[in-house]
Formats: sequence, C-alpha cells, structure tokens
Amino acid sequence: MTPKITYSEPELVALLQQHDQQAFTYLYDNYSGALFGIISQIITDSHTASDVLQEVFVNIWKKIETYDASKGRLFTWMLNIARNASIDKVRSRSYQNEQKNQSFPDNVHDIPGQSVKPAVDDYGLRKVLGRLKQEQRTLIELSYFQGYTHEEIAKIMEIPLGTVKTRIRSALIQLRSMI
Amino acid sequence: MNIKEYIASGIVESYVLGLASEEERAEFEEHCRQYPELVAARNAFEEALEKEALAGALTAPPQAKNDFLQFIQETGLPSPVKVVPLPTNPLMPKAGTGVKWLAAASVILFIVTSYFAYRFYDQNKTLQDTNQQLQAKLKSTDSVLNKIAQEQRLMSDPNVTVVNMTGTEKAPQSSASIYWDSTSANVWLIVKNMPKLPSDKQYQLWALIDGKPKDLGLFDPPAEGKVMLKMNNTQRADAFAITIENRGNTGGPTLEQLQTIGKTRL
Repeated sequence: MTPKITYSEPELVALLQQHDQQAFTYLYDNYSGALFGIISQIITDSHTASDVLQEVFVNIWKKIETYDASKGRLFTWMLNIARNASIDKVRSRSYQNEQKNQSFPDNVHDIPGQSVKPAVDDYGLRKVLGRLKQEQRTLIELSYFQGYTHEEIAKIMEIPLGTVKTRIRSALIQLRSMI
Repeated sequence: MNIKEYIASGIVESYVLGLASEEERAEFEEHCRQYPELVAARNAFEEALEKEALAGALTAPPQAKNDFLQFIQETGLPSPVKVVPLPTNPLMPKAGTGVKWLAAASVILFIVTSYFAYRFYDQNKTLQDTNQQLQAKLKSTDSVLNKIAQEQRLMSDPNVTVVNMTGTEKAPQSSASIYWDSTSANVWLIVKNMPKLPSDKQYQLWALIDGKPKDLGLFDPPAEGKVMLKMNNTQRADAFAITIENRGNTGGPTLEQLQTIGKTRL
C-alpha cells in the first residue's frame, strides 16, 4: 500500500497551497485510504464515514494555507483534521439520532470505552492498541478515538486528573515502542 | 532542561496525536525551535504513524472521490493558480475593492454635482438677466406713468395756467405748451412737436417779462412722443417763447430763430 511518491513533501505542499487540482488528486489517491481507515475506526457506519472523508478533503482544500510545515508533517496535519471531524460527527445530534433509530441504545450508565465494541479492531492503530494493557487501551480509546479531555476521563473513570495524565503518557510511550 | 527526558516523557506522541493541551503544545513548539533532537524525535514518530496508517488504509468509496473532485472543480479556484506579486507603486497606496468603489463613486458624484452646478448656474444667470430686463422695463413704465400722472395733476390744478405756444412763420409745425403754476412758480414744458436739430443746436425756453427775456433753460427735442420737461421757475411771465440757440448758450435769445410763442394773458 506504499504510494508511489512522485512529489517531495515540500513540492506537494507548495502545489496544494496553490490549489493545484492535480496535486489534490494525487493527495486523494495516496492518502484517502489511510484517512478513511482512521475515520472508520471512529465512525462505525460506513456511509457516514464516507461522507466525513469527503468533508475532510474539502476542509483540507479550504484550510491548506494554514498548514505550517514547521509544526509537523502534512499527513499528521491531515490525520488530526480527519480525527477531529470524525469525533465531531459522532458527537453531533443528527448522528446520535440516526444511531438511536437504528439500534436500541446501550446502557447509558456503562463506562464508555469499556462497553463500546469497535466494529473494526484488526488494523491500523486499533490493532496496535490491542496489544496494550486493558487500562491503557481504555485511556487511549477515550482520549484519542472518542476525544474526551483528561478532565472528562478523570470523572468517567473516577481517578485523579494527574493520574489520567501520567497513565495516558505511559500508554503513548508503550504505543510508540510498538509501531 | 533534560531534553532526553522530555522526549521520553510521551509528549512527542501526545503532541503528534493531538492529545496535548494548548499549553503543552505551545511549550513543545517552543522547545522544537531550540532542540533539533526534539524535532528529529517528532519526525520519527510522525513517519512511523504515517506508515502505520497507510498500512491500515481501507479502500475509500469511489463516490467520495468523484464528489470531492467535482467540488474542487465547481467551487474551487482555477487551477493552477500562480501567485504573482504585483509591482507596487510606493507612491500609490494599495487600493482595496472598497477604495476602488469609493473612488468610482466619488467620480460619478463629482460629474453629477458638476452637471447640476452648471445647470443651476445657467438657470440663475437667465433668471438674473430676465429680472434686470423686467426691472428696467418697470422703471421706464413707472417714469412714463409718473409723467402722465403729473401732467394730469397739472391740468386739473386750478392754480396752473396753460399757455399754448404756436409755431411762428419760420416753424409753423412747431408746437408746445407751458404749464405754469403761478403760486409755486414751477414751469413745465410739454413738447408736442419740435423738429430735430443739428447736434450743435438746442432749443431754449424764455419768459418775456416787460419785454425782457428771462432764460428758463435749454433743452433737446425729445426723441419720441409728448414729453413733459421741468424748466426753470419764474414768478412772472407775460409770454413764453422758444428759440434755437447754439448748444450751451449763455447769451440772450436769437430772436430771428424764434420758433414758438404764447402769451400768458389772452
């Protein structure tokens, strides 16, 4: 799945920032799959995930001028746009209503992350996540895939805020060693 | 600060995955400017993450690609857009669209205003001219009316004696009348018909008192119609007479040029 690189990253960024359609087609061809992967890890409904993917590329097109190469790679920037868009979608009233209409809701008192069974967990980051300890997995699930703040996680899991921070950090260090 | 410990703290992963707080992000970016090894660590994790994500890529639905490409063709900017910096004139401030509109609007306003200013000026001038003409006409009408009224008053005044002067043999056509108020001594001459004279000649009115002439004033024959002239006063007069004299005559009457004469007592 490694894409054929025909542009260096600075070249690609320069063309994208000029809204070059060919460069955007290249970007789409090479990165839509990876971004669709991350979106699908957050949004289980494939139709909604597809809508979000398109939305993400439209946002990349609109916001490309704000991309600052000194702060990180282009893919990292796009990945964060995809993650944020997916989390926003999941939290939106319209998406939640759709989900309610499709299936009877889970017990609302369940702790998120422990009750949620991701539809796909055998690829990408989730696959890596599977190798973490249960507690660390929950923390990454809540913070990365569901977008909860450290404060919210501290409330949900009934553990001190400082502990949430250190445990997430150590989970990330673990994760780092696995990829 | 121990940069190795900082790198090993999990901040790199936290930053890249977007889990760091605003404060942590600012601090991380600040340190990146200072420590190249931090940038290297960040890059390494980013590349590993990208590789992982590409490995976990799913096939995106083809409809999403078509929709996106349609979007950028319809609403996107023309491709490719070359950003060419415009040569800027240092004397001319960059004009935004607003300024351009303002400039255009002010030019239009100036033209419209000029047109109306000219029209009003023109109208005003015409009105002034007409007004002046009317005033001149009014003045002359007034003076004619005054004379008529004066004449009317004189003719109906019981103290006024009217002396009709008839033409002599030399000037049988000449005729004039004197309205003489014996109490106020005022003398008015009404020229009925007096021929025009060469430019060096004038008519002169005389009062004859005990056979001696008294100068009552020089006058030019009026240009048109019957005109009443106010002459010098005289308390007494046996007769009135008009002679032709040299312009500005200061001497006595030239009796050979006697034109009209009329006695006060018939």
